Amino acid sequence: MDVAVDQLLFIRDGRRVLDVPGLTFPTGSTTALFGPNGSGKTTLIRLIAGLERPTRGTVTLGGVAVKVGRVGVQPVGLAFQEPVFLRGSVRRNLDLALRLRRVPAADRVARIEEAARECGVAHVLDRSARQLSGGEAQRANLARALALRAPVTLLDEPLAGIDRIARTQLLHDLPRLLATFAATTILVTHDREEAFRLADRLVVMIGGMARTAGTKAEVYSRPPDRETAELLGYTVLRTGGGTVAVPPGGLKPGGGELSFTLVVERVVDMGNHLHVLGTIAGARTDLRLPTGAARPTLGQEMPVVAASHVPL
Amino acid sequence: MNDLRYGVAEAIRLLLAGDAELYAVVSRTLAISLLATLLAMAVGVPLGYGLARGKFPGRLVLLSAVNTGMGMPPVVVGLVVWLLLTRSGPLGSLDLIYTKPAMVLAQFVIATPLVIGFTAASIQALPPQLPDLLATLGAGRIRRLWIISKEAQLGLVAAVMAGFGAVVSEVGASMTVGGNLRGSTRVLTTAIVTETGRGNVPVALALGLVLLALAFAVNLLLTLIQQRQR
Repeated sequence: MDVAVDQLLFIRDGRRVLDVPGLTFPTGSTTALFGPNGSGKTTLIRLIAGLERPTRGTVTLGGVAVKVGRVGVQPVGLAFQEPVFLRGSVRRNLDLALRLRRVPAADRVARIEEAARECGVAHVLDRSARQLSGGEAQRANLARALALRAPVTLLDEPLAGIDRIARTQLLHDLPRLLATFAATTILVTHDREEAFRLADRLVVMIGGMARTAGTKAEVYSRPPDRETAELLGYTVLRTGGGTVAVPPGGLKPGGGELSFTLVVERVVDMGNHLHVLGTIAGARTDLRLPTGAARPTLGQEMPVVAASHVPL
Repeated sequence: MNDLRYGVAEAIRLLLAGDAELYAVVSRTLAISLLATLLAMAVGVPLGYGLARGKFPGRLVLLSAVNTGMGMPPVVVGLVVWLLLTRSGPLGSLDLIYTKPAMVLAQFVIATPLVIGFTAASIQALPPQLPDLLATLGAGRIRRLWIISKEAQLGLVAAVMAGFGAVVSEVGASMTVGGNLRGSTRVLTTAIVTETGRGNVPVALALGLVLLALAFAVNLLLTLIQQRQR
């Protein structure tokens, strides 16, 4: 089921929280709404889920306009950023979700077992949902949303609030889980790595607006402005002829056609190489030195060259 | 000490003897206080929910007013209700003064802020996104309220206990609007005051023990309901 928003405007307490003229999320795609905190990402999925009424504009799911306060079988499955559970076991929570979706009793047990097994929470199915660890709670939260097998799955920061090991594991498992259970998926993240590893399409959101949208390659290769470029990891630098965005890893020691001076602020020994943190004309950047390179001193001015760049 | 011992013995004797007047007072006490509590629940639970979850100007002022109302002296409530219901009052034409409905009304006014306050606190203790979760799962308004009420069961039963406890034990309002008429509006608390005034301390003590036993029995039942799902 495709999702489309048209002329969407959402104003809260006199503040323009979201202003998106148009966006389409194709059927079967996984799209990351990627942007900093307060950029309107969560508001957009709440509007798609029918939890908020837009000030203007429409959201359509499979061509049908979303209405606030719908009752009955919903076309979306939503996993909130903070796992929300009722009292009782994980099984009871999953069962209630399926019951509200009017899944027949005979199918519910199998659906719960399958979702729990795939999401790695089968061993805690009969444990109190409110006493799970952060990682288990996030997986149980996912299992509930995925067990619905909704045409549209919405995940709000699915890796938030969990420790690094659990996050790494879930980051590895999520694409497989989405491929198994979800059709069209829209996920919210402020983390670049998550956005790129989980999604096949990106919508970059800043200040309540979708600055750019498309496949990962389209978005990454053509950042439309400075803020988007910085969010995507580019180092934005001024040159004599304008402004350029240098992609992560695009700066190398040495001189050349597009060279700059990097002032060394810190040198980090990463074990197998040195990592230099510093500034170029006030812009923060970092540089990986080749193995065996001499350790620069703090305050040293290093010549660097942009091996690749995008004009802004 | 002798009075206490005699009071306990008298209470047992009155109960075992099947004293008709005592049983009438007990059943009247229960009927009035339970009805007032039920009405307070019917009004107070939705209002408490609205205060807990609602977003509207003046919410904090209202919540503060409710919290103040939770400690309102029953005799003041009785006085206000008496002024409303007395023959020359704005509701005097209803001819309710010194009747059981007048007592129910006064007790309802006492219990309602307690029910609202306890409900609001128990709803606010739930995850704020619970209604949204249930909405995305397709639960309608009534179903959401039902599920959320079950989640807040501990607090809601505490609201019933607080409301019932406050009204079954109050004397000021019942005395003021009920008039303590024998065979009509006399309840356990007003009977205790009357018997104490007459110097009939052992009987007053006996009635006090019956009142305590009654309150304990109701609260035991409510506690069993409250703790059932723990």
